[in-house]
Amino acid sequence: MTWTQYLAPLLKGAQVTVMISLASITIGALLAFAAGIARTSSNRIISGIAFVYIVLFRGTPLLVQLFWFYYALPLIGVSFDPITTGIMTLSLLTGAFGAEVVRGALLAVPPTQLEAARALNFSKTYTLWHISMPQAIIEMMPSFGNLAIQNLKDTALVSLISIADLTFQAQSMRNITLDSATVYTLTLLGYFIIALCLMLIVRFIEMKLRRGPAFPRSAHS
Amino acid sequence: MKTMISYGVAVLALAAGIGGAQALTLDEVKSAGYIQAATANEVPYGYMKEDGTAAGIGPDVAIAVLKRMGVNEVNWTVTPFGTLIPGLKARRFAFAAAEQNISPERCKQVAFTEPNSSYGEGLLVKKGNPKKLTTYADIAKDPSLKVAVVSGANNIDFLRAVGVKDDQIVIIQANADAPATVQSRVDAYAATELTVSKLAEGSEAVEQVRPFTDPIVDGKPVRNYGGFAFRLEDKELHDAFNKALVEFRKTEDYQKILTSYGLSAESIKAAAAKNVADLCAGK
Repeated sequence: MTWTQYLAPLLKGAQVTVMISLASITIGALLAFAAGIARTSSNRIISGIAFVYIVLFRGTPLLVQLFWFYYALPLIGVSFDPITTGIMTLSLLTGAFGAEVVRGALLAVPPTQLEAARALNFSKTYTLWHISMPQAIIEMMPSFGNLAIQNLKDTALVSLISIADLTFQAQSMRNITLDSATVYTLTLLGYFIIALCLMLIVRFIEMKLRRGPAFPRSAHS
Repeated sequence: MKTMISYGVAVLALAAGIGGAQALTLDEVKSAGYIQAATANEVPYGYMKEDGTAAGIGPDVAIAVLKRMGVNEVNWTVTPFGTLIPGLKARRFAFAAAEQNISPERCKQVAFTEPNSSYGEGLLVKKGNPKKLTTYADIAKDPSLKVAVVSGANNIDFLRAVGVKDDQIVIIQANADAPATVQSRVDAYAATELTVSKLAEGSEAVEQVRPFTDPIVDGKPVRNYGGFAFRLEDKELHDAFNKALVEFRKTEDYQKILTSYGLSAESIKAAAAKNVADLCAGK
């Protein structure tokens, strides 16, 4: 077998990797906003639930979480298929890290603005979505870019719960051919190309946001 | 707190749309039209080919046996060797076809069929066998030697039984890692005869130890008997498969599959001569 024959199975795996990564980044971002905003809430129950979620998922290894959802949860009668398990676990992890980014960025909005908003009798919700968030979301983007790439690389672990992603295909190829050098080099290259695309997407979103109508960058810094 | 947990679990269960564990029956498999099966990535016992189809002693025999039972489609999953039994118990697949050795410990966890194959042990070493190893006990004699085994495989038990210390043993995740590990980090790789022979095939850097003496455990040379593993609760499905397997073992097609993967006629005879009840009882 020459290296060109490795490409078809590796590309098939790369598709699965991209699918899982995009799905879990999207769901993870939603979770991040939900938990991050909940953390800044003055309601103790809401912020408490978000705190427990963040601490649990940030404080445990992804691999063990995956194995727990895949091998342990079915023993008490709850079973999700491998793809669902993979996307769910990755989303929860990315969401937990993202929540802290959201919280940090919201807290970085100068308190004088919140005081001004209160003086103008804006409601809390209005202040959040029209004063804090438009400024904070721009600050979140570089960290979100990091998380997105981290998420992509973390997807390699789903190969261990029998999902045929890029890493899984690489292991299968290697098992048949024993040609570790070529297979792993191609695999690294594959992840790198996907990561580059992710970086470009995040940069594009950031640029759009910076040019957004709400707040020009210079207005608050 | 307890009610909160059970409430949470109930919500999750609803979301997943799955109730408690029920036994899978042959009728259910037949009406579904396919069965979910797993193998480990181990040439020649069971592996995935480039085109995504399963091959190897376990999968090939399983496909033939299932055909005789009226099940024509098998969905194969490849999973690391050490997760075959956890995956089976977690209902990830209906059975495992990886020629796992039928051992009393594993019999407590899963229901094995009658043996499908039998195989001895082997050692993979650097070309020229620089440490002059001929059996597992040679490794025990020199504490500076290191030996690799694959995670979850029973070769580690044989190594320990002949006196190899735990700090001499290096655990690797897959057989494909063995040649590189033997070249750089360990003195030998302990696996079954066929695995070693496949890995050594055509290699410039590593070779199979020949002649090799099978390790003596409890006064007799060890021999592995590989079978198919089912869940304990799926008794009816296990029994039906087992019956069809015993029938299939008498055919020429069966012999053909096993010899095509390098199994000797003696090994095939040895497999048929043993029965699963004795193996599970440690006899």
